[in-house]
Amino acid sequence: MSKRFLALLSVLLVLSACGGGTTGGTKQGDKLTIAIGPDPDTLDPMRQTTTTVQNIVSMVVETFVFVDPEGKYKPLLATSWQTAADGMSWTFTLRSGVKFSDGTPFTAAAAKANFDRILNPASTCPLCGAFRGVNSIDAVDDTHLKLNLKQPIASLLGLMTEVTFGFLSPNSIAKGTDNFKDQEKPVGTGSYLLTDRVKGDHVTLTRNDQYWGAKPSYKTQMFKIVPEAASREALVRSGQADVILLPPASDIPALQQDKTLKVILAPGDRTIFLAFNQSPKGNPLLQKAEVRRALNYAVNKELIVKSVLFGAASPMDAPMASSLFGYCKTGSYAYDVNKAKQMLAAAGASNLSIKFVAPTGRYIQDFQAAQAVANDLSAAGVKVDGPKTMDWPSYLGVINVAPADSTVDLHLLGWAPGFLDASQAMTQFQSSQWPKAGLATSYYKNPEVDSLLAKANSESDPAARQKDYCSASNLIWQDAPWLFLWVQRFPMVTTAKVTGVQAIPNESFYTVYASPA
Amino acid sequence: MITYIARRVLSGVPTLWGVATVVFVMARLLPGDPARVIAGVLASPEDVERIRQQMGLDKPLWVQYGNFLGSLLRLNLGTSAHTNAPVIEEIGSRLPYTIELAVVALVLAVTIGVLAGVAAALRRNTMLDLLISSFSVFGVSMPVYWLGLMMIIVFAIYLHLLPAAGADEPTSIVMPAVTLALFSLGLIARMTRSSMLEVLGQDYVRTARAKGAPLRSVVFRHALRNALLPIMTVIGLQFGALLGGAVVTETVFAWPGVGRLLIDSIFFRDYPVVQGLVLMFGTTFVVVNLLVDLLYAYVDPRIHYT
Repeated sequence: MSKRFLALLSVLLVLSACGGGTTGGTKQGDKLTIAIGPDPDTLDPMRQTTTTVQNIVSMVVETFVFVDPEGKYKPLLATSWQTAADGMSWTFTLRSGVKFSDGTPFTAAAAKANFDRILNPASTCPLCGAFRGVNSIDAVDDTHLKLNLKQPIASLLGLMTEVTFGFLSPNSIAKGTDNFKDQEKPVGTGSYLLTDRVKGDHVTLTRNDQYWGAKPSYKTQMFKIVPEAASREALVRSGQADVILLPPASDIPALQQDKTLKVILAPGDRTIFLAFNQSPKGNPLLQKAEVRRALNYAVNKELIVKSVLFGAASPMDAPMASSLFGYCKTGSYAYDVNKAKQMLAAAGASNLSIKFVAPTGRYIQDFQAAQAVANDLSAAGVKVDGPKTMDWPSYLGVINVAPADSTVDLHLLGWAPGFLDASQAMTQFQSSQWPKAGLATSYYKNPEVDSLLAKANSESDPAARQKDYCSASNLIWQDAPWLFLWVQRFPMVTTAKVTGVQAIPNESFYTVYASPA
Repeated sequence: MITYIARRVLSGVPTLWGVATVVFVMARLLPGDPARVIAGVLASPEDVERIRQQMGLDKPLWVQYGNFLGSLLRLNLGTSAHTNAPVIEEIGSRLPYTIELAVVALVLAVTIGVLAGVAAALRRNTMLDLLISSFSVFGVSMPVYWLGLMMIIVFAIYLHLLPAAGADEPTSIVMPAVTLALFSLGLIARMTRSSMLEVLGQDYVRTARAKGAPLRSVVFRHALRNALLPIMTVIGLQFGALLGGAVVTETVFAWPGVGRLLIDSIFFRDYPVVQGLVLMFGTTFVVVNLLVDLLYAYVDPRIHYT
């Protein structure tokens, strides 16, 4: 082989490498417009309760740990962490050299000030949940923070991914000021700064050029508040928005046909189910697992997902979503109306009559799906009174009641944990979580499940936790406290001019590193 | 005149007290627990209880009512339970959008509606009359939701002329204002036509024509001015209603007005904001009615208020 040929080859290689470099690099963008539905009630990480708000705020305020689009925990403001052998404390090593956007350094003392604010008895922190099991917080030195617990919290790392536990500049949360109680303009360490907000219209973020990590492509990202799904669709079709969340479900097939658009049906963590009322005062036939299993066979989940939800869900194959830690597949109640009829007859429930309610507009095609389910149940010989529907507060008022006050036999509900761990998802099956203590509205009780879950919630060995959640899941699947329906997907639409829009499997979008295509 | 205005303003006070009481009771008759709705489904009972206390909902109803009236007297509408911001701030940030939309829509509706009504009356039973009357019926009976979406499809998606939704561009107001104006326009045109027809048959109009007054002056000075009273009543009522926010129009076009704020607040059972808004609507109607009555006296010198 001649030297000239080798030289030519190396030139070609260098050239192709250069070419790859330019096409692979992200283009700089000016503005990304994202149309969302609800108007944020608050932008305070501590006070918020909705995923859309969490999405916006998490671009400004960062947490110790981050969930990536694959659903894996990745270090963010903490570079590593350690649990004590007895699980009674956690020590986080903080990323050094990070500054808040007001110039204050991010230190263990700053982190402690945030946790102190959250745990202050006067603070409103609806999503604090298990974090209240923290007893005290020590700033060991500048880069080490130690959380001492009242009892082991196995899901602590999951909690640390929630923006509820994100870090604000200590100057912006000085004790005794209004900002301590409520944040209008959070100041964090994130890749974007909150620069403008017009209530009811938009929230605008501007790139943080001092950001410690990789810099995003878009100079600004604007969240436009558009409550009507059809109007959001019009925005993306006319190119006036680059990304929209939740298009009208019935238009998903048409949007998928459009070459100028991309439809993302991201995996989610929200299980949609019908809760059987198993309160001692309820319909005695529904106390029988045999009857509940029969009804699970009576509903054609695949068909309803296809024709009513237009593919925006996947039928459940376990009592929780597959994106959660602790998930294992437990089976499927494949549609078989004859089997359902036989099982009902065998259980003496041929004349079963049930009262059924469902919300409207809370979950994707919720009431429409409930009507389809009612049809299937009727076909199996069940006398269905309903579905009746009402607005969300009234609905909660009907289902979130003490067992003795329950009035309906079957209700549709969606349940999505805030972080990708079974602990919060499984509260639905813990008898200690019956209303009003929690929202386990099927009033299901199985002592074996209760003890398995209690164990899994506190043990520190991940393999043992996984096993316990799996055993509990298998018991629950057999007991069928729910009519298991599907795990809802998270539909988004982007124009073809944008690339890099991702989703995190807890109903979140991730547009930080989106760029022009 | 001054005493008349003073008397009317004073008589508005019991009206508004009635409105305040009715909305206070109605808000609490709605099923659902506001504290739970605001805290979300994942919140613990302790957090729900804390929010309930912050909202003052743990107190007996009559204490809540007393506190509500007491703060009202001090012109304090309270704090939104949902956003934690003062109600006056919540309404204040939305009201300019509603006023802007209402005024533009009303100006459109009044100018076009009155002119169309006059033209239809003058060309009674011709093609023009038929055209205008059909258009008025169209305007009154067209569902806003459908019309709004059709306009978005044509002007935003196909023609790329106007923004589909939002309020951040100067042209953003065009589609919501036109959609909103159509209903009032139809109503005003129909009222103008029938009122004008009544007046055009009167002796003084014939006299004015007979003495050789130019048509323009006959129509606008002699006829329209006398036909104006019922039209003004319709315009006043329409303006009052427009200032109350247009829920569907605001929702379809993502216009951040008070109509959407009201709906959001009802869905969150945010009592203070619902109360504040309904009181504001009540006050608007009292004021607009008073203004219309005062305008009567200006248009018709025979009317005196003492």
